[in-house]
Amino acid sequence: MLPVNRSMSDIIALYIHIPFCLRKCKYCSFISYRSRESDFPSYIKALKKELSLRACVCNIGSVYFGGGTPSLLSPEQLSEILSSVKKHYLVANNAEITIEANPGTVNAAYLAAIKKVGINRLSLGIQSFNDTELTMLGRIHNAAEARDAVADARSAGFDNLNVDLIYGLPGQTIEEWRDSLEEAIQLSPEHISQYALTLEPEEPLFKEIKAGKLPDISLDVTASQYQMAENILQNHGYIHYEISNWSKPGKECRHNLVYWQGAEYLGLGVAAHSYIERRRTGNTDDIDRYTASLSQNVLPLLIVDEKINFDLEIAESIILSLRLCRGINIKDFEKQFGIDIMKNYTKRIEELREYELIEFDEGYMRLTSKGRLLGNEVFWRFLPDRV
Amino acid sequence: MKQSKTRNFCIIAHIDHGESTLADRLIELTGTMKSEKIGEQIMDSMDLERERGITIKAKAIRLLYKAKDDITYELNLIDTPGHVDFSYEVSRTLAACEGAILVIDATQGIQAQTISNVYFAMDHNLEVIPVINKIDLPNSEPERVLEEIESVLGYKSEEVLHISAKTGQGVSELLETIVNKIPPPKGDINLPLRALIFDSHYDSYMGVVAYISVTDGSIRKGDKLRLMGQGTELEVVSIGYFNPKFCPTDVLVAGDIGYIATGLKSVGECRVGDTVTSLIDGATEPLIGYKTAKPVVFTGIYTTQPEDHGQLREAIEKLSLNDASFSFEPENSPVLGNGFRCGFLGLLHMDIISERLEREFDLSLIVTVPGVKLIVTRTDGKQLMVVNPSDLPEPTEVQLIEEPWVKISVITPSSFIGPIMDLVTQSEGIYKHTEYIGQSHSPDTLGQRVRLEYEIPLRLMLTTFYDQLKSRSRGYASLDHEVVGYRETRLIKLDIMVNGVIVDAFSRVVPPDKAHEIGKSMVEKLKDVIPTQLFKVPLQASVGSRIVARADIAARRKDVLAKCYGGDITRKRKLLEKQKEGKKKMRNIGKVEVPKEAFMNVLKLEQ
Ligand SMILES: Nc1nc2c(ncn2[C@@H]2O[C@H](COP(=O)(O)OP(=O)(O)OP(=O)(O)O)[C@@H](O)[C@H]2O)c(=O)[nH]1
Ligand code: SF4
Ligand SMILES: [Mg+2]
Repeated sequence: MLPVNRSMSDIIALYIHIPFCLRKCKYCSFISYRSRESDFPSYIKALKKELSLRACVCNIGSVYFGGGTPSLLSPEQLSEILSSVKKHYLVANNAEITIEANPGTVNAAYLAAIKKVGINRLSLGIQSFNDTELTMLGRIHNAAEARDAVADARSAGFDNLNVDLIYGLPGQTIEEWRDSLEEAIQLSPEHISQYALTLEPEEPLFKEIKAGKLPDISLDVTASQYQMAENILQNHGYIHYEISNWSKPGKECRHNLVYWQGAEYLGLGVAAHSYIERRRTGNTDDIDRYTASLSQNVLPLLIVDEKINFDLEIAESIILSLRLCRGINIKDFEKQFGIDIMKNYTKRIEELREYELIEFDEGYMRLTSKGRLLGNEVFWRFLPDRV
Repeated sequence: MKQSKTRNFCIIAHIDHGESTLADRLIELTGTMKSEKIGEQIMDSMDLERERGITIKAKAIRLLYKAKDDITYELNLIDTPGHVDFSYEVSRTLAACEGAILVIDATQGIQAQTISNVYFAMDHNLEVIPVINKIDLPNSEPERVLEEIESVLGYKSEEVLHISAKTGQGVSELLETIVNKIPPPKGDINLPLRALIFDSHYDSYMGVVAYISVTDGSIRKGDKLRLMGQGTELEVVSIGYFNPKFCPTDVLVAGDIGYIATGLKSVGECRVGDTVTSLIDGATEPLIGYKTAKPVVFTGIYTTQPEDHGQLREAIEKLSLNDASFSFEPENSPVLGNGFRCGFLGLLHMDIISERLEREFDLSLIVTVPGVKLIVTRTDGKQLMVVNPSDLPEPTEVQLIEEPWVKISVITPSSFIGPIMDLVTQSEGIYKHTEYIGQSHSPDTLGQRVRLEYEIPLRLMLTTFYDQLKSRSRGYASLDHEVVGYRETRLIKLDIMVNGVIVDAFSRVVPPDKAHEIGKSMVEKLKDVIPTQLFKVPLQASVGSRIVARADIAARRKDVLAKCYGGDITRKRKLLEKQKEGKKKMRNIGKVEVPKEAFMNVLKLEQ
């Protein structure tokens, strides 16, 4: 349970998971159920219950509706949740309130309506502007609907817009990727996230590749696509601030920065994770168990519950801050943890420098452009020896 | 007289024909144990035996059987391993018995080791009861198999029993036949003690426990004994029989099969095949000529992490207390550091020992390319034994190299003779003999079944010979082999360089004219089994300073990132922890992380 008395200066991020989609994409490994609208009310009820059970006196700096497809909820339902949030928490006036929305589920009227209930940042799951690719991925929308969604968002008055893109698709050429990226840039969103497609064995797309119906993913092409994107985005004035994230100056996603800065967050809903007072917890990923517990006024079963000890905290802090392009401020780190990175990891650092995976600049340790593609090779070296 | 009511016998068969399952049924039908308690293949008690479904060590059990003549007989059954690697031990076991049940699978018929087992039984003058097993299976062909047994092994059809070890059909008749046909032990309780050791194992409480068959005289607890072959002296700490667990008793007399705990510290002092007699006034003639099984396959064993070497030494020493047929000697590799050169009876034996080392002692091991023992005569006339390719002298210093050859016998439908002949020729072998033994399963397409004899260098049996034999015969061919001696050969050392460093663990001896071909397939294979590194890695095969093949592993440019969303940082970290853990199963060679499997898999050449 959360402590009720927290100092007013603590700012935490609030994540709310909406585990519904119209249909499953072929590469999806998120916790999301094929939409049964009839489930929405009971789920919202459970969410509200969890909000009240975990109420605390703390400042919420950002709210993030993630999914799934949160844009399947009606403006009224979103409003209901937000009111409940405001009832149980202190939400800062300038809080960043983001919703993930999928093209094909939104129109201008809807977007205007959710803007009105207080949502001020929109993250569009566009993924690609190529219809063949969208079909291969099993997305519900086509390129035209993606373009419409951006136009509708603008006309609804959203001035903080993210576009999600996916690269490294089976058989996708560097040029095909460039076309999607350039089309996204033309629409000049404030923020662009791009993720390399990763597949797990149980996913349909993985099986199609294994069955020879689609070509294998080439890591070599994927790496070139990433590097090309880095250049193009830089030329268009986007700042690369995290491995997979770019934004116009000052438009970084405040909510996600919380994760990378090792700050506290509270996750509500099925499969949502929290990190409060050096304890990381994760709710059950079974929606029925989730709603059942809460209907009895009991917090949901935790499938992750981990105390983050000092060694782990250090490791995670290094790993997460290395994801940020500016890297780790070595002095600040020493102030916070009393540890001199250079002395503590001498051998590891030497190795990584030799492989040109990290570099040092003006008091920061950061990934090189090669290192951003090979982050895991860097990260595991900072894990404690025994946990 | 007790002896007249005792029957000592073993079950022999080609691998998987159903020895251990038949043992289960005999145990059940004699009422020794209830079927629920037996489970499946109760005699296979080691974890490894159960998992692999094979018998690795011989085991014995005493059964009490009330026969139709109303007399209760004591049946001592020994279950033996079917695999050829252990055939030496099987031949010792046979010497402890008067009879053998020869099990032949009704779906497969006579297989290569069926025949060699029959020869063993004949050598020891055993009464053989041939049985056709698995007649419950729909694809069984008892008539055809019966014909084979008559024509190839020379048994009469009325001697042959038809059974299902699984359902128990025909097993009661088999019990009666055992009692009626197998002679009682012939020894004399009044003569000086003679007992044959047919297996032994090390027990941390009792020391070495020897499994014995008493031919003459008797043994009691406290007796002082001597091994006639090895000269070891010992005192009997405890004594008993098997049911199948140890069951202490006061005395074992002529005709009995049981165990003695010796308090000895290593099975090497108490080897299979030796004869036990009394220390004072003992017998003068051993039961059988004593010799030890000699390792024929050699490999280097190292820990993936150099600092674990001490643990490996301890583990090998401990395990060797329990298995006298593997040898080990410390060796030092410039690349892998300190390790051991170990000798085994065959590839399965090697596989089992290395798996037991890893499992029972929690080690991560590198097992290098297996090889044979060469006899090298240098130009100065000195002879040396070479078990590690790195020790092969420079060609200019070599006058003569000799290597071991084996006689192999293959049983196969005749339509595969061509492909098998090709394989043998490619494997530097020579043809000896063909013998037709009967009709095949589907006579029209596969033709008659034949037994082929060839001779090939043992070296060739250590790579893919068996796999290829199986694939070229669509799984039909069975194989048996036996070392026939050393022959002159021409061999040179082929080295593999990884990132410019010679990795001695990959070095092999090969015929000069095959160096290019083998080198090429080795570097290609390594290219597949070594994961991409952060830099480009050249792989080269060389003979002396001459590069004979090359392949490059391109540098890895991108990680495969696991999907994680939101605050699920724990999962992400766990994946990184796994990646870090994985590094412990790799050996760092010239900065290249080589997975331990690469050392073994480099042999599994694709063709
Ligand atoms: N259907 C059927 N299966 C049988 C019969 N006898 C044995 N099997 C099966 O054949 C396989 C091999 O049996 P085992 O008793 O382990 O054979 P084995 O000869 O002891 O094997 P090794 O000790 O490795 O030589 C097992 O899967 C048994 O279940 C039988 O009479 N009928
Ligand atoms: S929209 Fe996202 S959460 Fe929904 S199925 Fe597709 S990938 Fe999964
Ligand atoms: Mg068996």
